[in-house]
Amino acid sequence: MWRKSGAWIGLLLLLSVLTGCNVTESAFARTASNAGSAFAAAATTLTYAHEDKITYAYAASSFVNFQSELSGTDQALTAPSAVDTRTLHHLLTLYKPAIQVINAPCLSSACNWRSQIEVLNRASQALLKAGNS
Amino acid sequence: MKKQWLSIALGVVTAIGGFLDAGTVATAGEAGAKFGLGLIWAILAATLAVMLLVEMVGRFTAVSKKTYADAIREDFGFRFYLLPLTSELIAESLLLAAEIGGVAIALSLFTGISWHTLFPFVALFIWILAWRAPFDLIENGPALLGLVTLSFLAGIVALGGIPAHLLPTLWHPNFQRGSVADYLYLVAAIIGSTISPYLLYFYSSGAREERWSRRSLVLNRVTAIVGMGFGSIGSMALLVLGAIVLQPLQISSNTLGELGLAMAKPFGITGSLLFASALFATCLGAALEVLLAVSYNIAQGFGWEWGENKKPVEAARFNLVMTIFLLIAAAIGLIGIDPLQLALFASTVIALFLPISLSPFLILMNDPQYLGNKTNGRFTNIAVICILLLAFLVALVSLPLEIITGGG
Amino acid sequence: MIDPNDEIFSVRDILDSQLQTRDRRKIGRVADIEAETRADGSLKLTYLVVGPQALAGRVHPRLRAFLCFFLRDRFEHRIPLSEVTKFGPTLYLRGKAENYAVGQSERWIAEHILRWIPGNGL
Repeated sequence: MWRKSGAWIGLLLLLSVLTGCNVTESAFARTASNAGSAFAAAATTLTYAHEDKITYAYAASSFVNFQSELSGTDQALTAPSAVDTRTLHHLLTLYKPAIQVINAPCLSSACNWRSQIEVLNRASQALLKAGNS
Repeated sequence: MKKQWLSIALGVVTAIGGFLDAGTVATAGEAGAKFGLGLIWAILAATLAVMLLVEMVGRFTAVSKKTYADAIREDFGFRFYLLPLTSELIAESLLLAAEIGGVAIALSLFTGISWHTLFPFVALFIWILAWRAPFDLIENGPALLGLVTLSFLAGIVALGGIPAHLLPTLWHPNFQRGSVADYLYLVAAIIGSTISPYLLYFYSSGAREERWSRRSLVLNRVTAIVGMGFGSIGSMALLVLGAIVLQPLQISSNTLGELGLAMAKPFGITGSLLFASALFATCLGAALEVLLAVSYNIAQGFGWEWGENKKPVEAARFNLVMTIFLLIAAAIGLIGIDPLQLALFASTVIALFLPISLSPFLILMNDPQYLGNKTNGRFTNIAVICILLLAFLVALVSLPLEIITGGG
Repeated sequence: MIDPNDEIFSVRDILDSQLQTRDRRKIGRVADIEAETRADGSLKLTYLVVGPQALAGRVHPRLRAFLCFFLRDRFEHRIPLSEVTKFGPTLYLRGKAENYAVGQSERWIAEHILRWIPGNGL
């Protein structure tokens, strides 16, 4: 019984230290960070695909995984948080076209993949900045 | 004499190729991408622990002719046996789903077909191998293919080696891309994914499948120490690749495909496909090991016939349990959770249950009834106690960290 | 008076031991032991009990009663102690696997369940 309570006390102490000391991120920061790095990965994947560093098949599969990774991100971003509405609006403006690229990446020479990469990079940088601040 | 050296070489090689799995790939990649070289110590510590544990369990089985599961049931009774059994069933069903997913993702990277579609076929393929393939093929096949992980070292060399600015992160991790909680979470996940109990059940059963005896003690020692030691090279190489390539690009390696980009940078398409091959081989090997480890555990604990060199009807209950467990894992996988996330989660669950899975060691390895004059020396016992303390610490923090970080 | 030639085993030694038949087949582990009181008051071990019902009893007595009812008491098998030819972590039995009821369940699963799966080796 003592050992059990000791363990729980230790747990609570740890939790309070971790949350109190600000050594964890807020939910918003985490969502923004993850989304930012997902877009960065997507941009690199698209770039490599067109630089012949990976096959189109590899890129296509990667984008399927990015889609599932990013699903529900817009809801998570708009959840109540300490972020001001102007920043949030700015992020969502960049997020929307980027997620469209994720759902329909240009994997041939017949479409404008360069602008897609730019869209992804813009969204990535903004989200990463918001996540780290 | 020559035959013994051949077995030793094969043992080392299979340990190298078999070290990585979905869990260790996932944790190594994220560790490098988020914290530079700051988590190499965790991989080294976990490798040291697993070297010792594997040597011990191999020695135990070679001398006593009893597997780990046999000994837990016989020495601690049925009620205690239910504890590691239950924890194994929960943790390994998640891990098996993640491993099957890892194979499916590897194939999807080759073919472009969605891994969700490939998943059931991979599960079937794994079942067929476990159902009919002899033990040697299961142990050696994927592991030999897994040697392709050594290409990660070539990747590091091709990228110009470890850049000087990364070296300080060895002892002073970069906390820009992740919080302290993330860091601690990865420590727990690295330990859980490296010191996986399934490895011990599988290795111990394998020692019986191959009829190890006192004469196999040298083979056991070399396989455990040299094999596991070199095996961790693949894991550390992945971490370094993540640190060199992914971190500067702000990529966190949250999906398995992203990690392959680190090989695509130096070697182009060949590099990306080398990564996919490594993922395929290591996850396939691990899937078989996890599946069989659980089946061995149940069959041995309940005293049934077991063995991969027997026809299915000769070990009916063992093979039935194996089939049912695979179906359960497949059902979990078909829910569609990303295999990398599932692997990370499974690793933390394993970390949570580590003390239960490892505590029998201290008593068993000192029991002369089983080991005769081959019981643990004082140094080894101290090492076991340290490992158990580490396991308790990790178990304590793994669940809160999983909740706080939302799974890394 | 204890004869020095009698081998004395504690219940703990026998409980959970592996049962192996003459044809080298593993048929299960000892789940429980039955004993009877002799005229002089000492306890004599009579039967080894094998099966899920007895195992459930090791966890909790009510569980055993529940399983007995649920499984219609068809899965408890008793093996006389006299069948054991050698004691140790593995108990070696006099007969072949098919001589014991618990040894037949492997065959039953093979013939009724596994037969539907290709490659079963039947």
